Amino acid sequence: MATPVHTPGGSPLPVPHHGVGNSTGTPVVAPTRSAHTKDVASSSLGTFGVKSGLAQMLKGGVIMDVVNAEQARIAEEAGACAVMALERVPADIRAQGGVARMSDPKMIKEIVDAVTIPVMAKVRIGHFVEAQILQAIGIDYIDESEVLTPADNEHHINKHPFKVPFVCGARNLGEALRRISEGAAFIRTKGEAGTGNVVEAVRHQRAVMGEIRKASVMSEEELYALAKDIQAPFHLLKETARLKRLPVVNFAAGGIATPADAALMMQLGCDGVFVGSGIFHSGDPAKRARAIVQAVTHYNNPKILSEISEDLGEAMVGLTIDDSLKGGRMASRGM
Amino acid sequence: MSDEQEPPRDLNVGILALQGAFAEHQVMLKKLNLRHRIVIILVRTQEDLAKCDALIIPGGESTTIALLARLAGLLDPLHEFKKTKPIWGTCAGAILLAESVENAKKGGQELLNAISISITRNGWGSQIESFEAPLEVEGLRESERPFHGIFIRAPVILSLNTSLTGEPIQIISRISTGLLPSSQTVVPTDEDDTDPRDPRTIVALKQGRHLLTTFHPELTKDNRFHEYFVTQCVIPSLRDHA
Repeated sequence: MATPVHTPGGSPLPVPHHGVGNSTGTPVVAPTRSAHTKDVASSSLGTFGVKSGLAQMLKGGVIMDVVNAEQARIAEEAGACAVMALERVPADIRAQGGVARMSDPKMIKEIVDAVTIPVMAKVRIGHFVEAQILQAIGIDYIDESEVLTPADNEHHINKHPFKVPFVCGARNLGEALRRISEGAAFIRTKGEAGTGNVVEAVRHQRAVMGEIRKASVMSEEELYALAKDIQAPFHLLKETARLKRLPVVNFAAGGIATPADAALMMQLGCDGVFVGSGIFHSGDPAKRARAIVQAVTHYNNPKILSEISEDLGEAMVGLTIDDSLKGGRMASRGM
Repeated sequence: MSDEQEPPRDLNVGILALQGAFAEHQVMLKKLNLRHRIVIILVRTQEDLAKCDALIIPGGESTTIALLARLAGLLDPLHEFKKTKPIWGTCAGAILLAESVENAKKGGQELLNAISISITRNGWGSQIESFEAPLEVEGLRESERPFHGIFIRAPVILSLNTSLTGEPIQIISRISTGLLPSSQTVVPTDEDDTDPRDPRTIVALKQGRHLLTTFHPELTKDNRFHEYFVTQCVIPSLRDHA
């Protein structure tokens, strides 16, 4: 069930969504993939259309990591469009080490009960039973995440059979299209979680956008060769080249700590932003969270950005990303 | 006052672009082929709103959109806007148009109170209860062809109330109960949910100049609802002002 039905979204989609001043041009949106057929007289649950559709509703929003119901309420009051329930934020996973796993379902349920916005939770890469458990407790979105310790070094979860949608991280176009091929309805940059350093998220977003720009001018023969080269399914690469964007919603994640970081990722073409450790490891989480929410809406308005960036207290302590990084490079997990 | 004699004039249709699926509405409006040219305005500030003849509030998270509207100083202007100009709310937008809401976040949330209904958030359950279903819609072009309804954590209408302005509520579409997800939570199974007056099956309605849908026409490739809004709400309201 729920194999993506490729129903290209009608309108011509020019100009790559990149850079400033895009609010007046034709927007580039990920196509709808509803299960619509002419003669349906029944309803259908868990289609790729409703899975990718929820991601479309989250666009222009901020998804915040929270570790308990109290933080979830702070995030909701600050305008988060969803929360990510987890036991430890990535900065603490780095500091404490050990194997990081799916959170206690009881804690996740407390967060679900505390807020009205969608609740996401993380599973280890390849751990489909953790995913089955999260689906059973009625979570809204699953993040198959490199922030947790991978359970399978070879395989990701086959995400098509699940009714609950999945988001996955990617560092480049090939990785993103492989995840979509496995059933991910939503992609985010991997960045380098728990560092408060945006450099890797920028690298991944620029890599994806740059590869898409190159693919968009290629002939079909060249696309076949590129598909082989980046190990991506040809049909998804071809659709991406035609749309000039990923065929699903694409958020920034990993190292975002300030409103300016968030606006930077939006101007680089992201549809929204995940913030992990950056909020609850800062001096004034409620204020910083609200400022980042506003920054994602007004990312093209430097005047508003300057106002909301004022007086936010201390940002989280950032880490330099090199070989001595405690906890290692999470982004290289699960390719 | 026949259509043919009206000189075509540009229609300035705003889309509230604070959070959510506003770009999808923009794509749909651009595909409309009407006598009037449509100028699309993405509304993020009071100055943007002041240019609009009508407004679409998209799907997204209603708590987030309400908060961003307040922080951008848009709430009071929106309350003024609704008194004379048409607004269409889809999903989260439908919640914001309502008079009262259940299952709101602790402490409640701001509403525009433009349509006299009570509504509940996530009426059918969490994301795994999100569904697609064909709908019969009154008054759409080619109305014999069903409109494909995409319901994502959709709100459910609980009651139709009497409006202070006395405007009647016109029901445009109901979902047949046989198409509801079997595990949905609002209508208990031991209750007679076949009563045609049951408000919980109403998924699209119009009151005065305002339009409300609990599903997402902007996620389809079918622009008949956008055409309906422009021809049944926006153009008639211009005439009222003329």
